[in-house]
Amino acid sequence: MTPTTIAVATRRRKPIDVWRWVGRIFLVLILLYTAVPMIWMLLTSIKSGFAALQFPPQWWPDEPTLASYHKLLDPTNSVGEDFLRFFWNSFFVSTATTILAVIVAVPAAYAFSRFDFPGRKFLFFSVLLRNMFPAVIFLVPLFILMRLLGLVNTHGSLILTYLTFGLPLAIWLLKGFYDNIPYQLEQAARIDGATRFQAFLLIVMPLSTPGIIATAIYSFIGAWNEYIFAYTFLSKNDQLTLPVGVQRFFSENTTDFPGLMAASFMMSLPVVVLFLLLQRYFVRALTEGAVKQ
Amino acid sequence: MTMATRLADASLRVETERTGVLQQVWARRADYLYVLPAIVVMLIVIAYPIYYTINLSFFNTPPSLQLRDKNFVGFDNYSLILNSDVFWRVTANTFIWTIASTLIAFVLGLGAALALNRDFAGRSVLRAILIIPWVISAVAASYIWKWIYHSDFGVIGAVLVGLGLADRPPNLIDSVGTVLPSLIVVNVWREFPFAMIMLMAGLQTVPDQLLRAARVDGASAWQRFWHVTFPHLQGVSTVTILLLAVANFNSFIIPWIMTGGGPSNASHIWITHIYELAFGRQRWGVASAYSVLLFLILMTLGYFYVRALSGGERKERGA
Repeated sequence: MTPTTIAVATRRRKPIDVWRWVGRIFLVLILLYTAVPMIWMLLTSIKSGFAALQFPPQWWPDEPTLASYHKLLDPTNSVGEDFLRFFWNSFFVSTATTILAVIVAVPAAYAFSRFDFPGRKFLFFSVLLRNMFPAVIFLVPLFILMRLLGLVNTHGSLILTYLTFGLPLAIWLLKGFYDNIPYQLEQAARIDGATRFQAFLLIVMPLSTPGIIATAIYSFIGAWNEYIFAYTFLSKNDQLTLPVGVQRFFSENTTDFPGLMAASFMMSLPVVVLFLLLQRYFVRALTEGAVKQ
Repeated sequence: MTMATRLADASLRVETERTGVLQQVWARRADYLYVLPAIVVMLIVIAYPIYYTINLSFFNTPPSLQLRDKNFVGFDNYSLILNSDVFWRVTANTFIWTIASTLIAFVLGLGAALALNRDFAGRSVLRAILIIPWVISAVAASYIWKWIYHSDFGVIGAVLVGLGLADRPPNLIDSVGTVLPSLIVVNVWREFPFAMIMLMAGLQTVPDQLLRAARVDGASAWQRFWHVTFPHLQGVSTVTILLLAVANFNSFIIPWIMTGGGPSNASHIWITHIYELAFGRQRWGVASAYSVLLFLILMTLGYFYVRALSGGERKERGA
């Protein structure tokens, strides 16, 4: 580094930074692309059914009303009764899936991270590969299997099949976390007389809590948003989860766009809140495996 | 691989004597106890369905799905597929959909990641807003955009008419020419945040000293990006593009809810077509044969995916 290059560099920094402006304009445009549909959903959801069906549209609702939300959340009318039941079904199925996926994935991920048993590579890559296969490939045979087990039209069928995508992902995410926990901690515990399993339970588990939380959220969001299995396996109205339920009851009455937008908002709210609260863990877990060079 | 696991591996290697595979398996049987529940679940919900799909693809199974009455037809289902016009139509759609969605989502994600890579007030709020479409349910996204595209009351139509670009609101998702691009816009809306998150994490690994050195040597912003930042992003970019491509190839919810594959198959992609063949028309054998073909394509993509990932691992190990 000679003094002249420093001089050149400082002189070059003077003029307006074109790229910074390109970046700002780009951010504004992409913010519009992202936010406008969501804002439009919210604005429509507080219109009356009549106000929504105008052309050109009311950009800002003349008489904003929360009627659609009242209808969805009031258990004494049929729409609210259904909607709240779908909500509960989604919550139940997602929670059960999450608990099962974490219980099964934690020891498996730990083994993939720590042990070097024959078949380890093959098993881990089949876990990775599973993430590539669409639900549709599994749908017909699983439908047959669920019929054999008598699980069609039960939440059991969903909880079991949601493990097809929840489990491989959970194993992948958790392995990344275990890889980053120093092995010496367990060694120290084992020198002090703990068995390998005790070391895992008492030392590694508590340290991987953030990873387990992130994995649980990921699995919950995946199950909450799942559509195709629920759409195929469930037909009874009182069993439906939100994505399918909302579709069912609005396909009967397609003109209620404020209702549909309010339902879309209510359906997205829990996962968005969950995500925003814990996005730091979540993003770290997601990118850890892919970014390491 | 981190120091810790390398140590773990080393200590395990000391414990393991040079023995046959079966003896090793027996010696490490306790290790398998940790993986066993996962293996059992994976066998039931993954291995069994794959086997069964291959099996069904060689049979003609009655619409009632009475397996007793299925009869063996060899490769008939496959030749039926390859000789149909719809197959080629849907395949073309799938490629347009996958490639366009992947590239646009990647480029937008890269742009957003780069623009968010400097410090400014409100950066984390902005980032959080940009991520939201990726988190919300695809079903909700489909309804939101269906409403936006609505041919009578849609906001896009209103804007186009308002600006004098159209006499009356266009039927964006009801006409063969515009339906696929319109759905790609929705899909990219949901997916670019994923690319953004991955690439933002990737940008953290670009060494500051290198960028500063390049700046001192008088490299322009573009040169710094092209010669320093971009090469460092190559690993993440490969993985991101592959994951996006696979996700797009496997899309179901957006095309299914927004158009159901219509009008006249213009927005059918492989997945929605398979679904319709199976659960719409009860043609289980043909749908299974489609699934097997899909499986083969994905295995090929998977080969590259695993290679991209294990390439990274090899580098870590310094081998």
